[in-house]
Amino acid sequence: MSPRRTDTGGRIDRLKTIRFTFDGVAYTGHGGDTLASALLANGVTLFGRSFKYHRPRGLLSAGVEEPNALVTVLKGEVREPNIPATMVEIHDGLSAVSQNRFPSLTWDIHAVNQLGGKILSAGFYYKTFMGPVIGPLKGTRFWMFCEHFIRRAAGLGSAGSAKDPARYERMNAFCDVLVVGSGPAGLMAAKAAADQGARVVLADLEPRFGGSGNWSGETIDGAPAADWVRRTVAQLEARDNVRLLPRTTVWGYYDNNTLAALERVSDHKAQPAKGEPRHRYWAIRARSVVLATGAFERPLVFPGNDRPGVMLAHAAERYASEFGVLPGQRVVVFTNNDSAYRSALALKQAGAAIVAIVDVRPQPSAEMSSLAGEAEAELLSGHAVVATEGGKALSGLKVQRFDMVAGALSGDARSVHADCLLMSGGWSPTIHLASQAGAKAEWNAARQAFLPPKPTQNWIGAGAFTGSFSTVEAIAEGRAAGLAAAGGTGTPAALPTVEATPGDPDPAPVFEIKGSGKSFVDFQHDVTAEDVRLAHREGFVSVEHLKRYTTLGMATDQGKSSNIPGLAIMAEALGKPIPEVGTTRFRPPFAPVSIGSLAAERFGDLKPERLTPMHDWHLANGATMYSAGLWYRPMIYGLSGETVEQAYVREAKATRESAGMVDVSTLGKIAVQGPDAAAFLDRVYTNMFSTLAVGKARYGLMLREDGFAFDDGTTWRLGEQDFLMTTTTANAGKVMQHLEYFLDVIWPELKVHVTSVTDEWAGAAIGGPKARQILAACVTGTAVDNATLPFMGIVHGEISGVPVMICRLSFSGEMAFEVYSGAGHGTHVWEALVEAGKPFGLVTYGLEALGTMRIEKGHVTGAEIDGRTTARDLHLDWMLSKKKPFIGSAMMDREGLVASERLELVGLIALDNRPLNGGAHIVEEVDEANPHGSIGHITACCYSPALGKHIALALVKGGKARHGTRAHVSDPLRNRFGPVEIVSNHFYDPEGTRMHG
Amino acid sequence: MAERQSPLEPEFHVGSHGNFEHGVEILLTETRPGSIVQLAAWPGEEKKLMAAIRAVSGLALPDGAGGGLSDGAKSVFGFAPGKFTVADEAEGLAAAFAKTVTPAIGTVTDLSHGRTAIRIAGPKAEWVLSKFFAIDFALPAFPVGAGRSTTHHDVFAQIQRTGTDQFDIYVFRSFARSFWKALCHASEEVGYEVQ
Repeated sequence: MSPRRTDTGGRIDRLKTIRFTFDGVAYTGHGGDTLASALLANGVTLFGRSFKYHRPRGLLSAGVEEPNALVTVLKGEVREPNIPATMVEIHDGLSAVSQNRFPSLTWDIHAVNQLGGKILSAGFYYKTFMGPVIGPLKGTRFWMFCEHFIRRAAGLGSAGSAKDPARYERMNAFCDVLVVGSGPAGLMAAKAAADQGARVVLADLEPRFGGSGNWSGETIDGAPAADWVRRTVAQLEARDNVRLLPRTTVWGYYDNNTLAALERVSDHKAQPAKGEPRHRYWAIRARSVVLATGAFERPLVFPGNDRPGVMLAHAAERYASEFGVLPGQRVVVFTNNDSAYRSALALKQAGAAIVAIVDVRPQPSAEMSSLAGEAEAELLSGHAVVATEGGKALSGLKVQRFDMVAGALSGDARSVHADCLLMSGGWSPTIHLASQAGAKAEWNAARQAFLPPKPTQNWIGAGAFTGSFSTVEAIAEGRAAGLAAAGGTGTPAALPTVEATPGDPDPAPVFEIKGSGKSFVDFQHDVTAEDVRLAHREGFVSVEHLKRYTTLGMATDQGKSSNIPGLAIMAEALGKPIPEVGTTRFRPPFAPVSIGSLAAERFGDLKPERLTPMHDWHLANGATMYSAGLWYRPMIYGLSGETVEQAYVREAKATRESAGMVDVSTLGKIAVQGPDAAAFLDRVYTNMFSTLAVGKARYGLMLREDGFAFDDGTTWRLGEQDFLMTTTTANAGKVMQHLEYFLDVIWPELKVHVTSVTDEWAGAAIGGPKARQILAACVTGTAVDNATLPFMGIVHGEISGVPVMICRLSFSGEMAFEVYSGAGHGTHVWEALVEAGKPFGLVTYGLEALGTMRIEKGHVTGAEIDGRTTARDLHLDWMLSKKKPFIGSAMMDREGLVASERLELVGLIALDNRPLNGGAHIVEEVDEANPHGSIGHITACCYSPALGKHIALALVKGGKARHGTRAHVSDPLRNRFGPVEIVSNHFYDPEGTRMHG
Repeated sequence: MAERQSPLEPEFHVGSHGNFEHGVEILLTETRPGSIVQLAAWPGEEKKLMAAIRAVSGLALPDGAGGGLSDGAKSVFGFAPGKFTVADEAEGLAAAFAKTVTPAIGTVTDLSHGRTAIRIAGPKAEWVLSKFFAIDFALPAFPVGAGRSTTHHDVFAQIQRTGTDQFDIYVFRSFARSFWKALCHASEEVGYEVQ
């Protein structure tokens, strides 16, 4: 039996032994233990080192608000830092280590920082590193010198760099009522709402539902509260309209009653089940919300209040009652309110000796005096704890007379031997979510606490969250809230009866006992009461500035235990009441959230893959695939031992000599249908489409509204009111949005429907001198001769029994055809074309050869239509109709868009016979030491098998006027300089004789 | 005519997968309808289009956004104001509609090859779909027959509920394999069978 584990009691499974390690030391615990309760049961008192001073720290709490006992959990190579030991459920094989210490938790060299207390006070960084410093290490330079050492000495845990193999998921949930918190109020709310037939989600950050019912020792409906909890939870579990989410922290309250929650699905398991995520991020859309999030007990601020062994009273009660662990054998209770008396009694009943109850109030009630007697504790009313003793564990404390009205100590200090000091400074409702929902908290003088604001969204509060700290009130409010949230009305059924220790919910307004020694307000960030007063003396009056200057309320606990004491001390310094000092607005997340859960399934797979119908054929036939946006396209079909350049040169050469075929299924395809389709296209394109005959295609250019070139492609007239528009692969989505915008917003009177049919069609572009012969060999149902299928003509036929649509158009500059079939028949048609092409030397080619042939022809793509070029820049002004207005026509003649100094499309030939680089600048005079005077840049480049030269397309000032002149390529980043000749962008077959046959 | 090739083929592994020790709670399959057609009415012509749908398919659409129904062989649902998706086991639906839906009523767009229909069924169908879509899949909110427009990976998708525990998801063919893999992955924790 471990030294502090009680023989009986608690909700742990003593028959189940769990083995784990902390700082490499093997320990055992029981099923239901947290890392905190298990270590405490093993006699561990030292859990961590403080942020700044490296003071030894133990457990302060038993829940999510824990500021001290932060650990790093190790799973394989992955380390997750800053997890409260109170929130880690132990499992076999769990490995956790302490943080912020060197070389060990027990012997931490940085504890020397405690000697520099005054130097390390609030504003240390500002004062030390922002002003001038004597010598060479001034200002930021001094900081840069010190940063490495400071970061080693101060801070929390360190994150690992190993890839996290865990699985994370996102879930969407909708419900009528979301109940946050499952204490008596939350359980009653969930039950009441469920009884009304509402769809209910009940979320609690703890693994066990029930909240205080698990450890309060009260009686509900004649049975122990924990039994009532189990019974109620079982009833909820049995209902189809209730979803229970244990281990789920609701951490964000957003607009329209959308809440964010983190479910720790498998952290408590040695191994997740197959397919089971580690965390699940829930986006919950609730018609109404019941906030039953309880309250946090506040520490008291007094010298030495951070020594291991000093903890919150209810936390000790919870360890004893829920986990069967005594945090000490000789316990002193220090309080300003009645609730700690119940804790004292619970510990007494669990086997501890309650040495004394120190109450700052001069005259506790008779009921409290009676409870003190029952706990066999000496009641020291009108007293305060003024010091604690011990090293890495509490050994004793000093008590002195205290006048709570004057805040003054008197008389001699008395030493008390104790190994555990429980403190209670009153309770602060957990109003974080309500605050996030959008309203300012309201101060309640009686409770000495900020109570929830009036709802600005559809939520209802219940229980301790509202400042109603008794279980009787929680049950009544919970049921009322559940009913109201579900839109129901009161029922005559009696409420469960509660037998509880009586107590006044209002604490004495005492937050701090002033004395010598460090009195901590914010345990996690080592902010002392004196730091707060220092901030005041240095002129900080706003609570927001106080927070930033002292770091009070920052870091992982976000001031859950420190906010109110800090405000109270600031208010006293300012001589103002607390509500006039104000409070900071809580913001998400309520508790730390794993980044993995936010990324969820998109982790490592951010983009879906978009595949053409012939994708698998390409892979099976040696294609090297290339990611083009979301699409995967063949780059080359390389032969063994070929370089990329060798492959594309071979493919392009073969195409120009016989025939080549490329997958063009990725081109955007939009069905433009309706009686006004032709008129619409006239407005969308710069050139005319209403004159296009059925069965013909036309090349079109679109401008943006601002007059710049937007996209190009061919559009096919399939019927009088039926067009098939093609776009560039990259711009398909943008063009679709562009068309929808104009139809929905600008011209809603047009009867036109646009539909993406990109995926309906598989496209194969076959080009080259033998292309027509290949088609003739495999197409049935139509002729493909020049008369039947002229340039830009369209025919319908079949290939291998599958319907196809063939349009004669060319991107390569060769006699070429685009063969479209239903996508599901794409591979079938592709293979038939390959087979038919074998006698003619047909090759399949990829994007590299496609790019090479289009550069040789001087065709533009997205590299030239880059959002900064106009139709004139690209020598496409012949497409700008003068007979009609079109999108962009009103803006395309602006002064800046027709200036003579604009960059225009030209061709370049490398005169040194070396490769050119995309993005390289063109200069008139080369000056390698001082590159300057750019007149343009290269947009696309290749080795041209047709010309036997390295060529490029470029945008150059002066454009055509420079044809025949020489310039230089200047690419200092890649160390490429050399002479080029500026020529027409039409390198190859400028007359188009090959294309037109 | 040659059989249509499924975009899922290399990733379509018939059998049980994932955590099926406690039974299979998800059935996944591709329904492979012969026809998928999009019909769109001009404003004010919606009733005529719905009548045309009834005349061709025999399916009488209910009024209201997202309304729909399925008889097992044919399915129809509204996915936007005045716009409907109709699927049929048989091919040739677009041609049939082209005769009935006159240019004065609206347009017919054949998407039989362009969309892939994936069926997810089983007691955990709502659970798995909730991982992808911010849609309330509860039966009262999403009744049998109804359709919804949504997105997967920011890509447009349509869902029709064709049974209490059964949904047909229409996704773009080019994204279908990627979505299928994601769907299988998301189904692992509850165990799934590909049929």
